[in-house]
Amino acid sequence: MLESRSGQRVLTGVHFMLGNYAVAEGALAAGCNFFAGCPITPANEISERMAKRLPEVGGHFLQGEDELGSIYAVVGASLAGAKAMTATASAGFNYMQEGLGYAYAIEAPCVIVDVQRCRGENFATQSDVMQMRWGASGDYEAIVLAPASVQELFDYTIRAFNLAERFRNPVIVMSETTIALMRERLEIPPAEQIEVWNRKYTELPPADYLPFKAPEYGVPDFAPLGKGYHTIYSLNPHDERGRIDWDPDVFERLYKRITGKIRENRDLICHTESYHLDDAELALIAYGSEVRPALDAAEMARDSGMKVGVLKLATVWPVPERQILEVAKQCRAVIAVEMNIGKYAGEIERVCAGVCPVHKATRNRGLIHAPEELYQFIQGVWA
Amino acid sequence: MSMRPVNIRFCGFGGQGIVLSAIIMGTAAVTRRNLYAVQTQSYGSEARGGQCQAELIISSQPINSPISERKDIIVALSQMALDRYLPSLREGGTLIYDTKLETNLHATSAATIPVPATETAISLGNQIAANMVVLGFLQESTQLITREDLVQVVRETVPAKFLELNLKAVEAGRQLAQGVKLEV
Amino acid sequence: MTASVNPARRHIRPGGLPHFFCPGCGSGQVLNFFLKAVDELNLSLDNMVTIGGVGCTARIPVYLNADTLHGVHGRTLAWATGMKLHNPELKVVVFAGDGDAASIGGNHFIHAARRNLDVTMILVNNLNFAMTGGQVAPTTPLQSTTTTTPYGSSEPPFDICRLAAAAGATYVSRWTTNRAHQAVRAIKAALSHRGFSLVEIISQCPTHFGRYALGSGKAADLLNWIEERSVTLAQAEKLSDGERAERFVLGEFIKMERPVFAGSTIYEVGR
Repeated sequence: MLESRSGQRVLTGVHFMLGNYAVAEGALAAGCNFFAGCPITPANEISERMAKRLPEVGGHFLQGEDELGSIYAVVGASLAGAKAMTATASAGFNYMQEGLGYAYAIEAPCVIVDVQRCRGENFATQSDVMQMRWGASGDYEAIVLAPASVQELFDYTIRAFNLAERFRNPVIVMSETTIALMRERLEIPPAEQIEVWNRKYTELPPADYLPFKAPEYGVPDFAPLGKGYHTIYSLNPHDERGRIDWDPDVFERLYKRITGKIRENRDLICHTESYHLDDAELALIAYGSEVRPALDAAEMARDSGMKVGVLKLATVWPVPERQILEVAKQCRAVIAVEMNIGKYAGEIERVCAGVCPVHKATRNRGLIHAPEELYQFIQGVWA
Repeated sequence: MSMRPVNIRFCGFGGQGIVLSAIIMGTAAVTRRNLYAVQTQSYGSEARGGQCQAELIISSQPINSPISERKDIIVALSQMALDRYLPSLREGGTLIYDTKLETNLHATSAATIPVPATETAISLGNQIAANMVVLGFLQESTQLITREDLVQVVRETVPAKFLELNLKAVEAGRQLAQGVKLEV
Repeated sequence: MTASVNPARRHIRPGGLPHFFCPGCGSGQVLNFFLKAVDELNLSLDNMVTIGGVGCTARIPVYLNADTLHGVHGRTLAWATGMKLHNPELKVVVFAGDGDAASIGGNHFIHAARRNLDVTMILVNNLNFAMTGGQVAPTTPLQSTTTTTPYGSSEPPFDICRLAAAAGATYVSRWTTNRAHQAVRAIKAALSHRGFSLVEIISQCPTHFGRYALGSGKAADLLNWIEERSVTLAQAEKLSDGERAERFVLGEFIKMERPVFAGSTIYEVGR
């Protein structure tokens, strides 16, 4: 099952693959050539696979001395031109927030995989959904993708690299114990069918280059390191030349741009999928593994004559507000489904406020919802 | 080919190749039969105390919920696992268990099939191949995958030094299933 | 008459000066030492990445006209690790204070030394957390008064050079801001070395360490105090352990060859 043909980046074909391996294969298919990570379950199979596979394709693997060492090595490699990734699990993700904050501030593209786990054990949970968005200090916008299957762990990891390179922003793949440690059918397309985006490098000579010059909500072009561009990447507020400057106008312009470049491009970034929503009167809104029992529950409800649909949030941050609002306008109520005490449900309530009521099928028991439970919840709301 | 999902639970204790059995069966179904499959297993403190269990769902359609507590087939290789997981067998389901184990399931509507997996593996030279006897039995009795599928995936999966033993065990398991047909 | 311009000025980021160091601070001297070493070796800053974390020393690279990373306390070597693995051709120089390198960044420090990461680290040890207001650091001499050790420090300090040597660094030397010539020579040796090279420079912080620990905010008093406590390696050998602990032992401690770090796993696949 650990098939890896030497030198081959894209393992085209049908596999029965572990979710964590699918993340690694997705990263490689997207062009990842640097990985750093520190041991932590249930993310270890990502590191192990990358350690085996990266040398085969000319990339580099680092087992960091800790999570901070790993995330900063990823940022350093990214600035040196690498497509870089790290993977961790909830507790390790806490440690990485510091480096993540720096990556947002200096606009370093990188991919972070957080395999969410219950405190200290490999039980199912989605309780990091707010940490994904708000964990680091400073002002920034997060891009967080929520795969629901092994196939999506592969697909969304590629998408994460593409968005990271396009927007010069860290992108988080929100994995979960449930799908990370699951084996499932994975179809890897031929390499030429995989869309890969790469960062834009400046065409200007060093004398004309301003490292953080960009349109109001735009993304600045990169310059390679060690080629005389003299770029300065500081966490401190910086002007277009990169120079540290605490002028309130410089400060405001910088933070407006690095958040605006994400917010103003939500239509490109936010991705949702609709199931049975055409005539739905009631909608389940779910993300990650919880989409799966939600789909089963909707089918059961349909079989009983209830017009129920599902809105799957493939992107959880930024919040796909337009898509959620459309569903809210159409339905008489929505049900927020998640595997925690009810965190993202608050975002759904915010978007749906004054439009339709939001019911919360939320719980944190270390278990994914059973379809029957959600079906019963639907029956209660429908009546 | 259209089929309804089949839920299988393999259980026993650590070292019996329980998880590997589920992976081999799933790999054959997906990569050689073009079916869908989901395999999960117990982790954390739930899996401690030497017990081990793996779940496998095989279907012709994409599988949504990865967890089902109503198993069509339970394969048990240890007494503790059998006692613990038997309640998850659905009405009319099938229990396949090693002949050295005991069960009082006769009163229910489920089919109970004792398979001399450990005994057969020992006669072939090593009891660690008991899981392969069961896999051979499952293949032949369910026809979810073909003999060639199973043999090929076993070849790709097990270490070379155990290959001959494992292939013999698969074959022995198939012989034990001659005339047994499980509806799936 | 035209004012003569320091030839090192051409290495300074346009518009970068004036610097923000306090009067009498040693960081400006270290900046000068480094540029002198760069000039004498005929190096270009164009293919150099200079890195600073947070703190007074961390500001040194901000004034250099090179590619520069700045602004996160203690993580200098972690950045450098990713950078050097992906592009070993880059010349990477890290500037770190004692708080940055030996306190918050201590773990990265020992692991970079253990791996023999091919970077030069210039560690300016001013014996306290200076930028934050003169708190105790892991290098503060025993019994020194600082803003967080108002009754004197009870913690024995690190000997940073011995720590680096024990962890596996392949070039290690220590000088002081009093010993400009030797410091420049050591930086040149470090920049010419392949592997993890460390130059520790004991430096004066008149604003905080001077005032709180020594009762004088005059740089000259501090420089004299440092000089009185400085001994050469040869002199140190004649001292007892107790006497040596109260001195700054100066010299080149380690100079050796060892394979440099190229990633956690061996790379010759299909060898």
